Amino acid sequence: MAEPRITFDHVWKKFRRGEPHDSLRDLLPAMAAALFRKPHADALESEEFWALRDVSFDVHDGETLGIIGRNGAGKSTTLKLLTRILKPTLGRSEVRGRVGALIELAAGFHPDLTGRENVFLQGAIMGMRRREIEGRFDEIVEFAGIGDFIDTQVKRYSSGMQARLGFSVAAHLDPDVLLIDEVLAVGDLSFQQKCYERLREFKRSGVAIAFVSHNMQAISMLCDRVLYLRPGAPPQTGSVGDMVTAYVTTDSSSADARVAVTERKMTRGDGGPDLMEPVPPGTWLTLHLAVRPQSDLRRAGLALLFHRADGMMVFNGSSMLDGVPPFDLMTGQEWHIQITFRTNLLRGTYAISGHLFEENRRWPAVELGVLGSFVVAETTRAGGVADLEPRYVIHEPAGA
Amino acid sequence: MSSIVSNFKEMLLEQAEYKELLYQVTLRDLRLRYKQTIMGFGWAVFMPLLNTALFSVIFVRVAPIDTGVAYPVWVYCGLAVWNFFSAGVKFATNSLASNMNLVTKVYFPREILPVSAVFVSAVDFLVSTTVLAALMVWYGVKPGWPLLFVPFLLLLQMMFTAAVSLLLSMANVFYRDVKYLVEALMMVWMFATSVVYPVEQIGGRLGAIMALNPMTSLVDAFRDVVLFNRLPSAAGLLYVTIVAVVSLAGAWLIFHQAEFKFAESV
Repeated sequence: MAEPRITFDHVWKKFRRGEPHDSLRDLLPAMAAALFRKPHADALESEEFWALRDVSFDVHDGETLGIIGRNGAGKSTTLKLLTRILKPTLGRSEVRGRVGALIELAAGFHPDLTGRENVFLQGAIMGMRRREIEGRFDEIVEFAGIGDFIDTQVKRYSSGMQARLGFSVAAHLDPDVLLIDEVLAVGDLSFQQKCYERLREFKRSGVAIAFVSHNMQAISMLCDRVLYLRPGAPPQTGSVGDMVTAYVTTDSSSADARVAVTERKMTRGDGGPDLMEPVPPGTWLTLHLAVRPQSDLRRAGLALLFHRADGMMVFNGSSMLDGVPPFDLMTGQEWHIQITFRTNLLRGTYAISGHLFEENRRWPAVELGVLGSFVVAETTRAGGVADLEPRYVIHEPAGA
Repeated sequence: MSSIVSNFKEMLLEQAEYKELLYQVTLRDLRLRYKQTIMGFGWAVFMPLLNTALFSVIFVRVAPIDTGVAYPVWVYCGLAVWNFFSAGVKFATNSLASNMNLVTKVYFPREILPVSAVFVSAVDFLVSTTVLAALMVWYGVKPGWPLLFVPFLLLLQMMFTAAVSLLLSMANVFYRDVKYLVEALMMVWMFATSVVYPVEQIGGRLGAIMALNPMTSLVDAFRDVVLFNRLPSAAGLLYVTIVAVVSLAGAWLIFHQAEFKFAESV
């Protein structure tokens, strides 16, 4: 295999909390203190903290790595290390080839300059040569949909127009490696579609992409693998489905100590091997659970919630509402529960979480946490959220 | 030693790669000047002219001094050269701090911001020489072939201005007090330079210390070749050349070492 375009090799990054010393008043004490201590790269001083701890990944040509995590987990720090704005405290961060960064797209824009002037400035900031910008200028303006406004000062633009022009300049780079930071929320729906289409083109043409986003739908659509950064826990790399599920559901409180979930398994149909691959819409899946109560639950029911990766709840129901009689879960017994359902859903990553509750005492419920996840594959047949499986009956006019 | 050489190689290659950006940032700042102010480049002429008028009143009427040529043209020449330096340094000092949104978000060689400030003030200087030419015609001062030295002097001045600018702009990122200090520093430095009066008249120990000021050698050299139609002093020129080269190399290396700290210092 060829050398990876991006190598992030056991990278650690340390930051100082709060203001360092912003005025000369604080400098002298700080300098005096510095004289009396030995700096150790791997040691933390009281005001310091690790923004990244031991993060490693590679990205090859044509591959897209998603980077997800809560605010403060180190996503932006990772991108800044990749763009060379920051240097790692320990470890090695390397990017080979021409780097394009879709980060703060309008950062270089000056409000008093015209769109045209800003395109050249922004292009230069992104490392384009004038000839390159001149050659693609019409395309850039066309893509942004700015039209005659190109010779108007940017301060007269709407924020959407500014963002569109910024994206458009970046979209006409010719990079080997593309770094993207949550920029696809710009413009209206049709412009966003255009952005995604452009990113897919980059991907098809073999560009290595690192993509930071909070939008799990976008992550699911574009990425091949995902790096999940968590503050205070080791980073994880894995399949899009697993990592997105972990991300979406870590917030919804961890499992309750009153019931231990001893088995969780997803299969196609009634049994068979664990489900790994995406399934087409309308597939029958079975979730196999085993639970062992640590205290008695009388006349209990099981509630399930299905969330799509972007956080949308697509289904919420319970065994009782679906007519299953309540059951008594006694301490120490192991109960096996199978839930079979049909994925009448369209493309996306879905997570199932659940809780047990007692009929006459709905609260507090016993959280079971994440029980499983599955990915519904893209279909050319339909778009949207749910597969409504329409039937068409067409009556030809009589006598035709 | 070899690491310093490879550092310089990397720095120069980076400059070559980003020369388009240096051009664009300089162009941006010049355009902004033109768009945001009514007088535009008139300001490049206004301050030296105002100062010329003020100091002419003092040193022609109140305390006349002998400067070899008419005082107004003598002082305007000094002020134009000095303004090139001081306006460049003041503008450059703030250049990183005022572009922090870029510095923390996008990678490019950060030298470009202070260096482009020096280029902008060079353009101002060229604009202000038109008035110098007019004054020279008015007072009948005729230059000769020593004018050929001007490009070399300009180069030295830009190098030295860039060196001071790199250090101060960097310091200002870490400590925002620096830009206020620079105001004071520039005022004191101007009176320590042969701008409005010949400093060699000071003499004594203070005079000896002030002779170390490379800006005096530069201003004197400019006057020699432009106003007095003679060669600049060889010793002074050599001194300025050494100071310019050494300070620029040193400042650039320090800047290059520190530039990764900029984004963290916000």
